[in-house]
Amino acid sequence: MEAVDKLSEHLKTRMADLVKAKSEGNKIIGYTPGGYLPEELVFASGAIPIGLIRGGDHSIVELAGAYICHWMDTFFRAQIGYGVSGQDPYYGIIDFLIIPITDCHVEALSNVLDYNTNLQILPFGVPHMKEKSTLSYYLHGLKRVKAKLEELTGVEINEPRLREAIHLCNRERQLLREISLLRKSEQVPISSLDFVTLNHGSFLADKEFMIKILELARDELREQAASVQKGPRILLTGSTLAMGDSKVLDIVEEFGGVIVIEEFAEGIRPYWKNINLNGELMETLANFYFMERVPPAWFRPGRERHNFLIKLAKEFNVAGVIWYQLMYRESYKIESYYFPSILKRETGLPMLTVESDYDPSETGQIRTRIETFIETIRR
Amino acid sequence: MTVYYDDLFRLCGFEDDEMGKERLRVEKVLTKLELGPAEMRTARDWVRQNHDVSLVGVRKLLGAWLKELIDLVLAKDEGKKVVYFSFPSIQGPGMAIKAADPEGIYCACPDMVLCHTMGQIFNKLIPILEAGEENGLPPGHGLCSLQQIRVGGLAKGIIPMPDLIIGQSYYCDYGAKVDELLHEKYGHPVAYVDGCKDSKWGEYPAYLPERIKFLGEQLNKFFDKVNETLEVEVTSDAWGKAMAASRLLFSGLGRLTQLMTADPMPVSGVETALALNLSAASTGRAMVEGPEAVSILCEEVEKRVESGIGIIKKGAPRILTLFPAISDASLIHMMEEVGLAVSATLLSVPLPKASQRIPYATPTEVRAEAEMRAGLYHSSFAIAKRFEDVAKTLKVDGVIWGYQHSCRPNAAGSHTIKKWVEENTGLPTLSLEMDFFDSRYYSAGALRTRVEAFADMLRARQASAGDRR
Repeated sequence: MEAVDKLSEHLKTRMADLVKAKSEGNKIIGYTPGGYLPEELVFASGAIPIGLIRGGDHSIVELAGAYICHWMDTFFRAQIGYGVSGQDPYYGIIDFLIIPITDCHVEALSNVLDYNTNLQILPFGVPHMKEKSTLSYYLHGLKRVKAKLEELTGVEINEPRLREAIHLCNRERQLLREISLLRKSEQVPISSLDFVTLNHGSFLADKEFMIKILELARDELREQAASVQKGPRILLTGSTLAMGDSKVLDIVEEFGGVIVIEEFAEGIRPYWKNINLNGELMETLANFYFMERVPPAWFRPGRERHNFLIKLAKEFNVAGVIWYQLMYRESYKIESYYFPSILKRETGLPMLTVESDYDPSETGQIRTRIETFIETIRR
Repeated sequence: MTVYYDDLFRLCGFEDDEMGKERLRVEKVLTKLELGPAEMRTARDWVRQNHDVSLVGVRKLLGAWLKELIDLVLAKDEGKKVVYFSFPSIQGPGMAIKAADPEGIYCACPDMVLCHTMGQIFNKLIPILEAGEENGLPPGHGLCSLQQIRVGGLAKGIIPMPDLIIGQSYYCDYGAKVDELLHEKYGHPVAYVDGCKDSKWGEYPAYLPERIKFLGEQLNKFFDKVNETLEVEVTSDAWGKAMAASRLLFSGLGRLTQLMTADPMPVSGVETALALNLSAASTGRAMVEGPEAVSILCEEVEKRVESGIGIIKKGAPRILTLFPAISDASLIHMMEEVGLAVSATLLSVPLPKASQRIPYATPTEVRAEAEMRAGLYHSSFAIAKRFEDVAKTLKVDGVIWGYQHSCRPNAAGSHTIKKWVEENTGLPTLSLEMDFFDSRYYSAGALRTRVEAFADMLRARQASAGDRR
């Protein structure tokens, strides 16, 4: 796809662009890509948000072994590795790192980086239930983020600036949604690999540029310029899908499966709704990012997400579900035990659970299991 | 007439009149747990090997654990509503529920009860762990063994199905998720008490006042759920009674902790753990038998201190560790065998005084504030800072940061806490990954070499300091 190629070119020079922007006095704000930091706040402060989304490399995970024990989530061990080693240049360029604390793994990242690096970090809490008091706590966290951004940039995040930033991010969400929904069609016009590349790009690229790329992608797909994917339709879900962790996507494609929809807690930007601009904007943001977002598995209880997965499976007319979890993310591991029976009961669909520690030695086993699964659902 | 289990139960502090009164209940429970004469003989030897049964206080504490097991297993048969909570948990809510309806409710942490009885007394925990592995918590995935015990206990039908679970959602994501797994499997309600450990590294003892408000609101919401589910109103009177009972027990535990600082160390850390853990796991026997058993133990230990009697030689290096023994006493015994006085755990020392003076509106906010001060539910940094402060206060010779294999909250500080304590106290600190609940993974034997080397190093430091003096 031309859009994907252009995005790839843009990302090659993104670091140089950021260096230049920083030298001109712009602040660069890193964040963990779990969907709980409203980028709108960063844009409204005049700073540049960068989602720290890289993963998939086992050598970096091993490097983290000097800082944390091995039975923590693979993606967050990778972030520790990148953060302490400087092997992800984005960690080196950020002025500040905002970490929404969603569970113990993210808390560990915050602690380890705070203690072992010079990164300036602001953790803020994301409760695990959707209630009045939890929303209020999350909103309080967002207000702390807002105050910190204002202090860093010297820019007041006022209503007009926030409104403009919301418009910008809404546009991106809408385009991602439009592209993704094209895959409901029997003729799937875009591969999951390309869609995920676009989604991942949205964490790093210049936002205005990203919107143009998404518009181009949408137009290309509408014109059917891209090739049509055929094969058993699959829903891919799980804990984290990082940039650089395309193992499952590649293997599914290799064996003729077509991933028509992805649902992940981290690494895939949520795009299912747009922010309604009514009401007080900070409250609106909190409501949108906390209450309206389909929650990850570490919310209690997890039924809302299960229901969402079932809805996706039906709407996208899939033949099976692949549950891709990273090692030691206990919330996903536990749900992978009982969700298959819920899925079977509600849809009759089978589910394959695949786990990864980003270790190349897993690939053979994962290939065999995915191949068998695709053969099974193909019948 | 003597029955096959009498020896064991007497060894565990049961008096003759209690034996007579409890016989029917004991037999029902032993049948359900498939514990016969052979198991009693093994248990008797196991208890003698692991506990100082020359102390009446120890026997009484073992007895309190056994009675808690009997109450647990029979709770449903005896018409009680069953409420479970997790370990660790905020002290208070469980006790308040129990105080609100002492006759109608059984409330405890069942996995801890099984650890101390099926583990420490009967040495029969492994089949329960295996049942947990087969029912949703497989091995090899770093899943906490304490929760495997709960899941296994329910799967094997040895502990009753709860009417309500208190989902501890402010410390560990895994425990709360297991509560959900059990809800999906068995359908009982779960009342989650949520929280966020979002303090920045270095923030303790400060905290955001909003954390207190949030946790207080969550606890209040939880009591509403108790009312709705169990039709039990937790009044301020019940809360007050629970706090009073807790204070009584904790004053005894404070005395015991103080006695453990004597040189030579008068009693094994394993025995003080029996008392400490009872307070954390039980709302019944801990409050009824606990204070008296602790008081007896304190008197016995006091006599040892006065007579200069110790379980290891005078002048042995004194260490501070995180948790006491839980399902397997051999880890702490191993440390003592290599000549270390395990004189304090982070959980056994009193809370620091409040540094922030904020008027809290509700009893639950007051409780939340105390818990924040205690550090465990505050952050990993709070644990590091507590280690530093307690190590300095108690003037220990070294620290064993023994963290629980597969515990995510412990893992958050697996390496940083050791580093922090060493840098800020100058004390040698041994980081030791262990399993307090499942000795298949980390046995005392496997860890002995490292602890021995650490003990040698502490002794060498002592000798060198002595030479300099």
